[in-house]
Amino acid sequence: MWEQLIIQPMTNLLLFIYDLLGHGPHTFGLAIILFTIVVRLITWPLNASQVKGAQAMQELQNDKEWQEIQKKYAKDKEKIAQEQMRIYKERGINPFASCLPTLIQFPIIIGLYQSIIRALSVMPLDMLKLARTIYPFQNAEGIIPLNSKFLWMNLGSPESVQILGYAIPTLAVVVALTTYVQSKLTMPATSNPNDQGAQMSGMMSIYMPLMLGWFALNFASGIAIYFITSNLLGIIQYAATGRANWRNLLPGGDKKTTSVKKK
Amino acid sequence: MILISLLVLGAMFLSACSGGTVVNNWYGLAADAERAYVSAGSFIYAVDLQNGSEVWRYPEKADSKVLFFANPVLTTDGQLLIGSAGAKDHKFISLDPATGKEKWAKVFTGAKGAWVAAPLVMNDRIYVPNTDGFLYVLDLSGNQSADPIDIGGALWSAPVSDGTLIYLSSLDHFLHIIDPVKGVVVSEIDLGGAIPSSPAVNNVGAYVGSFASTIEFIQSNGDHSVLTQTENRVWGSPVLDGETLYYADLNGKVYSFDLASGTENWSVQPDGPVAAGLLIAGGQIYVASEADPTSELGTLVALDLDGKTVWSKEVGGKLYTTPVVSGDLILVAPHQAEVTLAAYDADGKQAWTFTPAK
Repeated sequence: MWEQLIIQPMTNLLLFIYDLLGHGPHTFGLAIILFTIVVRLITWPLNASQVKGAQAMQELQNDKEWQEIQKKYAKDKEKIAQEQMRIYKERGINPFASCLPTLIQFPIIIGLYQSIIRALSVMPLDMLKLARTIYPFQNAEGIIPLNSKFLWMNLGSPESVQILGYAIPTLAVVVALTTYVQSKLTMPATSNPNDQGAQMSGMMSIYMPLMLGWFALNFASGIAIYFITSNLLGIIQYAATGRANWRNLLPGGDKKTTSVKKK
Repeated sequence: MILISLLVLGAMFLSACSGGTVVNNWYGLAADAERAYVSAGSFIYAVDLQNGSEVWRYPEKADSKVLFFANPVLTTDGQLLIGSAGAKDHKFISLDPATGKEKWAKVFTGAKGAWVAAPLVMNDRIYVPNTDGFLYVLDLSGNQSADPIDIGGALWSAPVSDGTLIYLSSLDHFLHIIDPVKGVVVSEIDLGGAIPSSPAVNNVGAYVGSFASTIEFIQSNGDHSVLTQTENRVWGSPVLDGETLYYADLNGKVYSFDLASGTENWSVQPDGPVAAGLLIAGGQIYVASEADPTSELGTLVALDLDGKTVWSKEVGGKLYTTPVVSGDLILVAPHQAEVTLAAYDADGKQAWTFTPAK
């Protein structure tokens, strides 16, 4: 099921783009970038709703009525939950709107990773699987084997650059950095030091870059190309909404002195 | 926290399921009169042909990042040569076939890629292709005796010689003809598809199959022609038996071709897909069928020289490794099976199986 629904279509889309680009040196890296753009365009409405949902949830944390409910029913969790649901309903907020696009990203990331590994075929067994994965309409004879070189990287292996005798994982650093920037930009300022949502966002802006950086450090560099492209597109998409909080990138920039007014 | 948990789960999924940095492939196999040698991932095993017991294993302790999948090669001066794949330390080593101890003062680590192909030993030199696209030239002590020859494309198949020239297949769609004395490529022939296996060579030229679903004849001067078409891509090496060429395709069709008349003798489909090379021994053709279409288990089929099935045995797992003959035994090394090695006699009776002790 996973094979037919995820791996085969993804691998074939990647190979189709690779073939369109002329399947020469460096084109598989470009194919991954174009593939990411296609995925981002397809999931654009979902990402927009994620941004909107996250923003609404964060703004709610600074809302006076919300804060009063927290204080008033501090010892009655059930009542808090009821009141929260009421406010969600009144204001048309879906508390899960910010989670769905993230959940959708996971099969894409895992599928893409498996597709890259299969497409690059580092061992004969991988190539045999690849030969059976390619749809009949594709130019299989022409595109196999794929050229795994992209700039200075071998897309099938973790990346590093030798600087003064040390292997520096530059892509992992860029992945961590762009993930950090993206998560910081989407984090609204808060005036409430006890804001659990803000604390959670703060944690995420540290854990996410570390986790994705770890992915990039240990797995095929093709997946790092996906992360970087996806992060940059995410930043552009968020900046285009005009709500990017660039101050958050500065130390202490995520604190706000005035509370956000109720909408 | 849900997202973090998902990321951790995702990381585990990538590590465990996708192959990730884990390299996997089918096993390599060779045999002399006393022992079979199987390169099966973390270890190379020497197995006693009398009873299927383990004689030695190399290395003593497994390192999950140093793996062996290439066919080992025995030399006339008593060496067992093999290179490693895996995530680190791609090394080319020489072992004592009797003890499994390393023979060279230091292992060769001069290549950038993994070792998937078996070497060719010719005129006291070892010619060993690497996935980095170079053909390395070593002396019998493991020292680099000439500059590596830049072939291009990942090299997965063993070089073959007609006694003068070396023929080397590459995934870059080219068959390369090399003059070993000058250390240069003298001809490169585009076959229109990746060539994953070695050619069969006789005194007039080479015969090789490719992903272009053809068998091509290549003369030593580089002239070439399509000998015949196949139903599907050709993965395994063709085999010569006098004036007859035998080969199989990924559909599982086995062909016999008469070189003298230039016509096909017969073609049969004994079982499932065939990725391994064929073995001709004792007047029979041994076909390692990857998986039987019904049972999905690897099957060893013996055909007579007219293409009729003599016997068929389910080995288990998947069969990708070319069978090897030693004395009266036909050896097969299945992939992802309960056994690592199985031995059959010419009548299809199983002599023994070998499963390494943990």
